[in-house]
Amino acid sequence: MHEPETTNPRMRGAPPPGGLLTVDTPIGYELVGVKKRAVIQLMGSRLWGRFNPNHWDPVYAARTGLRAPIQTGEMTSAYIAEMCVNYFGRNFFRNARFHCKYIASTFANDVITTHGVVRDKTPTPTGARLRVEVWATNQSGEKTTVGWVEADVPA
Amino acid sequence: MSENTAMKLTGEPRTDELRPMTEIQVRQAREFVEGLDSASEPYWDMVNVGDELARELHITPELVILYADGVEDFNPWYEAWRMDEWHVPGESPFGYAIVPPMLLSHFVLSVQFDHTKPFSVGSIHTYHDTHILEPVPVGATVRIHVRAIDKFVRRERRYVRHEVTVTDVATGTCYFRETRDILSR
Repeated sequence: MHEPETTNPRMRGAPPPGGLLTVDTPIGYELVGVKKRAVIQLMGSRLWGRFNPNHWDPVYAARTGLRAPIQTGEMTSAYIAEMCVNYFGRNFFRNARFHCKYIASTFANDVITTHGVVRDKTPTPTGARLRVEVWATNQSGEKTTVGWVEADVPA
Repeated sequence: MSENTAMKLTGEPRTDELRPMTEIQVRQAREFVEGLDSASEPYWDMVNVGDELARELHITPELVILYADGVEDFNPWYEAWRMDEWHVPGESPFGYAIVPPMLLSHFVLSVQFDHTKPFSVGSIHTYHDTHILEPVPVGATVRIHVRAIDKFVRRERRYVRHEVTVTDVATGTCYFRETRDILSR
């Protein structure tokens, strides 16, 4: 990733402010995603899933027909959003859209990887609007989450 | 555990199957789950189309860190609190610390479940269509407004659809709109 527009050393490691996608990015361009493990301690934390034992309790999950506790889908949405911020930068925070469907469960200890491919580019008065197909897979390559995002990139 | 080790529980599930626990921790966990379950009703039964709920949320620096740490997103744009400095103005391409783009979507859940007190356990979030309209500064107080707009059955599963808007209490800026579905048990 290119140099950030800041002299603050605390900002090292941040995404490029303007992102990596531009009006010249070709359709078919593949994003490099992020990879995370579904850690039971995070799944069952007060913020994420403590209030619903399907997210952390093997006994309750089995009673509802699940083979193991499942991670809340919003955690996967956050992983996909992290990938999008890496590629769209500031442009993902204004007039962006994220359409997302959870199609399979993410179980405790699964390893989730996010993916994206630029599928469409529409000219706008100030640049272009890019549509990126996004999805997440588990360690077996099975899709757990599918969707698309759109955001504007300046000329 | 290797990356290819998917979790598949076999035999009778145990409370301590996925993390080490002593007897007292197991007992506390079982009591907690029983408490949640005993007072809970299905989401489908508790929500009617047209129901509207709203709540204000002060997005404190600590809340943002709690969220970001929970998904291991260490982007410094979200930091208005650091362990070695505590409160700081922060820095991002917008000049100040901002809220991760999907944080509001997660907190919508909490307002949705105001329909059901206590929390309707066993329900699952299945879909969202999110419009991220403006960056949210860390420290803002927002109003999350949720309206149930549809109930439907698909492949013998019961869903409730909601329409969401999030606005800044002080300025009226609309930051976020979303349509989202809950699968009810």
